[in-house]
Amino acid sequence: MLQYTIRRLLSVIPVMFIVSIIVFLIVHLTPGNPAFLILGEDSSQESIEQLEKQLGLDKPMAVQFFDWIKNILTGDLGQSVYSSEPVSQIIAGHFGPTFSLMLISLLLVLLIAIPTAIFVVWKRNTALDPLFISVSLIGVSIPEFWFAMLLVLGFGVAIPIFPVAGYIPIMEGVFNWLYHLFLPAFVLASVEVGLVARMLRDGMLESVNQDYTRTARAKGIKENSVLMKHVFSNALIPTTTVIGTTVAGLLGGTVIIETMFTIPGIGQLLIDSIHRRDYPVIQGVVLFIAGIYVLVNLLVDLLYAFLDPRIRYD
Amino acid sequence: MNLKKHYNVLFTIVGLLLIASLIGCTKESTVGSGDADEQSTGEPTKGGTLNVAFAADPDTIDWMYTGATSTRDIGWHIFETLFALDKEYKTKPMIAEGYEISGDRTVYTIKVREGVNFHDGSTVTAEDVVASIERWRKVSSVGTIASEYIEQVKAIDDYTVEIKLKEVYTPLLSDMAAPKSALMIIPEKVAKEAGEQPLQPEQLIGTGPYKFEKWDRGNEIVLSQFEDYSARKETDWGGLTGKKVAYFDEIKFKIVKDPQVMINGLKTGLYDYAQSIPPDLYQVVESSPNIDPVKYINGYSTITPDKSEAPFDDLKVREALNHALDKKTIAKAAYGNEQFYSFDGALFAPEQTELYTKEGTDQYLSYNKEKAKRLLEKSSYDGEPITIMYANNFADYEKISEVTKQQLEEVGFTVELVPYEWATYLEKWQDPANWDLVVVGWSTRFSPNELGMLVMDTASSGWYNSGRWGNLLDRWSTAETGKQKKEILAEMNQTVYDELPFIKVVNESTLDAKSDKIKDYTSWIGQRFWNTWKSK
Repeated sequence: MLQYTIRRLLSVIPVMFIVSIIVFLIVHLTPGNPAFLILGEDSSQESIEQLEKQLGLDKPMAVQFFDWIKNILTGDLGQSVYSSEPVSQIIAGHFGPTFSLMLISLLLVLLIAIPTAIFVVWKRNTALDPLFISVSLIGVSIPEFWFAMLLVLGFGVAIPIFPVAGYIPIMEGVFNWLYHLFLPAFVLASVEVGLVARMLRDGMLESVNQDYTRTARAKGIKENSVLMKHVFSNALIPTTTVIGTTVAGLLGGTVIIETMFTIPGIGQLLIDSIHRRDYPVIQGVVLFIAGIYVLVNLLVDLLYAFLDPRIRYD
Repeated sequence: MNLKKHYNVLFTIVGLLLIASLIGCTKESTVGSGDADEQSTGEPTKGGTLNVAFAADPDTIDWMYTGATSTRDIGWHIFETLFALDKEYKTKPMIAEGYEISGDRTVYTIKVREGVNFHDGSTVTAEDVVASIERWRKVSSVGTIASEYIEQVKAIDDYTVEIKLKEVYTPLLSDMAAPKSALMIIPEKVAKEAGEQPLQPEQLIGTGPYKFEKWDRGNEIVLSQFEDYSARKETDWGGLTGKKVAYFDEIKFKIVKDPQVMINGLKTGLYDYAQSIPPDLYQVVESSPNIDPVKYINGYSTITPDKSEAPFDDLKVREALNHALDKKTIAKAAYGNEQFYSFDGALFAPEQTELYTKEGTDQYLSYNKEKAKRLLEKSSYDGEPITIMYANNFADYEKISEVTKQQLEEVGFTVELVPYEWATYLEKWQDPANWDLVVVGWSTRFSPNELGMLVMDTASSGWYNSGRWGNLLDRWSTAETGKQKKEILAEMNQTVYDELPFIKVVNESTLDAKSDKIKDYTSWIGQRFWNTWKSK
C-alpha cells in the first residue's frame, strides 16, 4: 500500500507541471490587456505602457513564466494585478463559500442518494423501480440554471422561505450560513443525486444475486442484514469512484450556482478574473482547482486500493 | 410506506413547485407604482442599512485614477471636491467657500471652507488642497489637460489657495468639477503617499457624508455614516453639491451581476436599490408593487469610423455612411422601449444647460438612402468588405451593429460583423487594421476636453485629426461668457457633422430600481444616497 501511495503521489508532479504550462499559455495568449481594462477606454498609450511596466507585463513571456514557476515553488502564487493582494490570500478568501456550498451539496447527495438506492433495492421488482429511474433521469437532465430559477421563484419570491441570493460566513452563525446556502446547495446536489443513487442501485442489484449473498441468506441471515452487510458494502466500492467524480462535478457546478445566487466563491472569482484579465489570479485559481481534482482523484484511488487490495498490484 | 404514498409525496412536491412558480408569475403582472423622484410621505428618519445591489466590482474607489462608473458612484459618497456640479450641471463650490479671478484671468484665489472634517479627524487646510491639486494634475485625465495651463499652485494662508496660470484657461473650475475625473480633496499626507498610484483601501479618506469601512472584494463594499460630517449650510443644490445629510447608518454596496437576482432581491427586501437593470426588464420593474423605476441620462451610442485608412479616410464615404443610417429603426431595434432613448444630435445632453445647444445639428437625422448610394458611387470606396467591430457583452450595441450592417448593405457597402468580448475588444481597438467601424457608447461628459471620441489621434476617436476641432478646443480654453461658449459649442456640433469623425446614434438612459421604502430619492447621473431615507 505504501509503495502504491508513493507511486501515485509522484504521478501528481508531472500532471501539475503540464497544467501550469497550459494555463499560463492560454491565459497569456488570450487577447486583452489588463492595464487597458484598469485604466478604461479614455486612457492614453503612455499611461497604459507605464502600468504594464509596473505590473511586469512588459517582460518577455518566457521570463514571466519562469518567474511565476519559481515563485510557485516557493509557495508564492503572485499578486493580483487589479487589487495588488496576494493571490493565495484571494483564493483563501473565496474558498470558504465554495467549500461550504460543496460540503452541504455533498451531504445532501449522500443523505438522499444512499437511502433512496437502498430503499429501491429493498423494494426491487415493484413499480417503484421504474419510477426511481424516471425521477433520477429527470434529476440528471434538468439544467441547473433552470432548476435554480424555478426554486428561487418558488421558495424565494412567491413563498419567501429562503433568501434569493447572498452568503453569510459560518462564523456569523451556523443557522444563517445554512439558511443562505440550502437552496443553491440543493440545486447543485440535484444533478449528482440521481447519478450516485443510480450507480449504487445498479451495484447493489448486481450483488443481490451473487454467490456470497446467496450463502449469507442460506446461513439464515435476515434480508435486511444481507442487504446492508453484504450487498451494500460491496456496491460501495464502485460507488466510491462516482462520489469522487461527484465532488469534481460539484466544483464545476459552483461556477453557475455562485453566479445565480451571488455567492462570492472560487467560481465567481474565476469568471471575474477572466473578464479583467487578472493573469496571476486566473493562473492561481485554475492551478488550485486542478490541484483539488488531482487530490480528489488521488484520494479515490487510494481509497479504492484500500477497499479492494487487488488494485495495488496492477 | 406503500407506493401510493410515494406518488403522493412526489406529486405534492411537484405541485408545490408549480404553484409557487405560477404565483411568482402572476405577482409580476400586477400593475404597480411608478416614479422615483417622489415626494416625502413622512418625516425623514435616521438609521438603518441601505443595501444596494451594485452591478460591477470596481477596481479602485479612486475616481481620479480610472474613469469607471462603478468607481465614481461609490467614491461620490466618500470624497468631495473643491467645486462640484449641481442638478443642472452648473459648477458650484463644495469644499471651496468662494474664489476670485485676477483681471488678466491668470490668477485664481480660492478660499477653502473652514472646519471641514476629514474622516481621519483632521480638518481641510490649504496645504491639503494644494497636494490634492498636484496629484490631480498627474493622475486625472482632465487634470493632465488642465495642468498644461497651470504654472504654480500654492497656499497663501491656512485656508487660501492660489493657482497661477501660464495663459488664460477658463474651464479650470469646471474641469475641477467634472464628475468623471474631478479633483477630490484628500489629506496632504495621503496625496503624497499615493502619488500616481490608485488610493489603497486604507487611504480612502475624504470629507464625504459616508466614510469607507470595509471592502470584501467581489462581495461587498461597506460605508458608514460620518458623524462629524461638515455639511454646507445651503439647501441641496442637487448633483454633487449643496447640503448633504446622511440618514443611513450604513450603506452596503453588494456586488450582484445578475439583473434577475437584483429584481428578486428587491421584491423580497434583500436589496433596497438595484443598479443598471437592462431596459428589457422595465415592464417587470414597473409592474412590481413595491419597486419604483429610476431613470437617468447616460451618454450616447456612437459609430466611429477609422479615419486613418481607406475607405473611411474619404469624407464622401463617411457622408454616405451618415445618410445610409436610419437611426429611428436602429434605436427601435436596439432599445425597444422608447423611454430609454431619445433623438438629439448635440454633443451634450439637453439637461446640461451650460453645454447644450441644438445649433449645428441639422444633419443629425439625415437618412437618405438614394443620396447615400450616389455619394458612395462618387467616392473612393471599391467594394472591399468593411468590418464593424463591437463588444458582445452589451446587447444594445450588438443590435445596433446588426441593423447598421443591414442598412449599409442596402446602399452598396459590403459588411462583416466582428464581435469580441470587452477585454479583447479594447485591445483590438488599438490597431486600425482590426476595424473600419466601431460601435460603442460613451457615458455623459462634462467638458469638450472630456469627449473621448474626439481626442485627436487616438484609437478611441478613430484617429481623428482636425485643425478645425483643435482650434475650437483652443478657443474653448479662453471663452469667457456663456454666449461665447454657446457659439463655440454650436460650431463644435457643426464640425462633427461636417467632418463626421463619429456618427451619433441616440442619447441613452439607464434604468435602476429602488424599493418604495426609500423616500425623497432624486436621481442624477448616478446614485446619490444622501438626503434620502428609508421608511419602516
